[in-house]
Amino acid sequence: MRFLRQHGWVAGLFALFVVLFILTKIIQPGYGAGDFGSLVRAVLPYAFVVAAQTVVVIAGGIDLSVASMMALTSVTAASMMAGASEEYALFVVPFVLALGFALGALNGILIVVTRVPDIVVTLATLFMLQGAALLVLGAPGGGAAEWLKNLIIGTVPLPGIPDGLTTWIPKALVLMVVLLCIVWIPLMRSRLGLSIYAIGSNQLAAFRSGVPVARTKILAYAIAGLFGAMGGLSLTMSTGIGAPIPGPYLLASVAAVVLGGVALGGGKGGLLGPIVAVFVLRLVRTDLTLLAIDPNVTAIVEGTIMVAVVMFGAFIVMRSRSS
Amino acid sequence: MRMLAKFGLAAIAAGLFAGTAMAQGTYTIGVSNTVQGNGWREEMICAIKAQALASGKVAKLNIAHRNTDAAGQSEDIRNLISAKVNAIVVNPADPAGIQAALAEATAAGITVVAVDQAVTEPSAYIISNNQEQYAYLGAKWLFEQMGGKGNVVYMRGAAGASADSDRDKGFKKALAEFPDVKVAQETFTGWQQDQGKQQILDYIATGVPFDGIWTSGIDNVIVDALVESQATLVPVVGADNAGFVGQLNSVEGLKGAAVTNPGSIGGAGVTLALQILEGQKPAQQTVLVEPQLWENVTDEGKAKLKGAADPSLSPEWPVSISIPDWTTYTKEQIVACKGPGE
Repeated sequence: MRFLRQHGWVAGLFALFVVLFILTKIIQPGYGAGDFGSLVRAVLPYAFVVAAQTVVVIAGGIDLSVASMMALTSVTAASMMAGASEEYALFVVPFVLALGFALGALNGILIVVTRVPDIVVTLATLFMLQGAALLVLGAPGGGAAEWLKNLIIGTVPLPGIPDGLTTWIPKALVLMVVLLCIVWIPLMRSRLGLSIYAIGSNQLAAFRSGVPVARTKILAYAIAGLFGAMGGLSLTMSTGIGAPIPGPYLLASVAAVVLGGVALGGGKGGLLGPIVAVFVLRLVRTDLTLLAIDPNVTAIVEGTIMVAVVMFGAFIVMRSRSS
Repeated sequence: MRMLAKFGLAAIAAGLFAGTAMAQGTYTIGVSNTVQGNGWREEMICAIKAQALASGKVAKLNIAHRNTDAAGQSEDIRNLISAKVNAIVVNPADPAGIQAALAEATAAGITVVAVDQAVTEPSAYIISNNQEQYAYLGAKWLFEQMGGKGNVVYMRGAAGASADSDRDKGFKKALAEFPDVKVAQETFTGWQQDQGKQQILDYIATGVPFDGIWTSGIDNVIVDALVESQATLVPVVGADNAGFVGQLNSVEGLKGAAVTNPGSIGGAGVTLALQILEGQKPAQQTVLVEPQLWENVTDEGKAKLKGAADPSLSPEWPVSISIPDWTTYTKEQIVACKGPGE
């Protein structure tokens, strides 16, 4: 039953995405593979920030510092790569990922050691990381290696698969899937993954069952930091610069987590739901632009769609439970 | 018979086409802006709508107008490419950060016009207020009023915006001409009224004396703060926002100058885009609109301020709601803020 509920939600979201896609085709008959590529590139930074938020929320916490984390890692990468050689970026990327991991772990350590609620600690680190980002780059700037920027431009030619199909597989999509899977699949198959769900659903019960709560929490935040750094790098890749003022990623990450069927109380949900949710939210934005809706109304429409979907989903879950 | 019907239909279609071209125009223009809820930017959007309507050449506007970063603006621009607009008028979040998206737009045959701030993409046309001159004119006047010496509070715009860095050049140029003027405090208001007011209140609270305030257009709340906290009314330089212009005319003892920075540049962007679409390319890739300074110290300046004041506008709106040669809409049209088909 739990299996059905979880995957039912994702299947429903996916169906919603397909419906929206068809709707997009109706609004703009010329909407094609290139436009899909644009959509994926828009999704990319959101996908990573949502992954970061998902890990933490499943572990029963919330990370308000994700957007600042992206800003800091993005400006760090951009300022290191500015004027540097192409090969130097090979060092910058792992360095920035490690930086994200370490700063995420710092979030976790602060929460575990001080016992201050997650929301307070990460709110404080939000400002700290934002300040640090401004110290690294006072204004948007820096640069990015060409090969890094090219990683998300164009499509992947696959031997044996017709061109008509490969044009629908943008590099950005491959990069996103590979990076998310590299972290997520081993995590979910490990004891740590199970522990993350355990402390999220009931911290005391998990502790009494011998789950190392403190270590699990720290690692959950560290992984969020790693995903945040990937998000920051993807921003630098797509813009070619680093911007110290965080973009609208924090609220978007929470929105996609909720829409993706992850319980804000922790312990329930997966990564696929939030990722599909991001695609849905970005495609809604595309449709609103294509329809030339009054820009002051678009935010209301986006919010309404979210509430409607979550309420509808909750209604379905309730119905299926009672029957 | 069928042939005849076909021709007939084609003729009717052509007639309709011509008809709509006369009444509504045929072009679709996309707009991308990344600061929402700022008076100047709202006026820019309204100028774009009004000019599109007044030109009679625009069938539809696709406006992406929200608070976002360069990555979000690239998303918006790509959505506008998907929407197959003929031209995009963009106020860039960052000059370099949206280069890839702008290059894609040009490659898709879309005319790109950046307004207000420059972009690094070489294929884009730029129509902008001369921001360096804006800051230089105002700062020079301010330093003269301060007697060429003393402390100035330097309230900038948004960190990293190219308009801000251009203005910084102009400000520094004026500063270099007055070696005895010192910058007492430098802040970034982010072009947000609430932030600017908080910053000046914080600074007044420190008790450190200052002799003049230069603002990057967040001006009327600064005068409010000086009046409310009963601080010494030092000379203030701002933009031609309706509220500030009104204060220069009415606040007792306030010396100040408004430098024009028309938000109606958005309308000029539409005009430029339409000219390019119709084959009239400008001589240069970048077109600059020169600012003017209106001060309330001389009688001549006072007269200009009196003439410019317009209490019917929102206090955050620049009073220069049109640009000669570039905009053709009426005041009613820009205030109504309605585009074609609205």
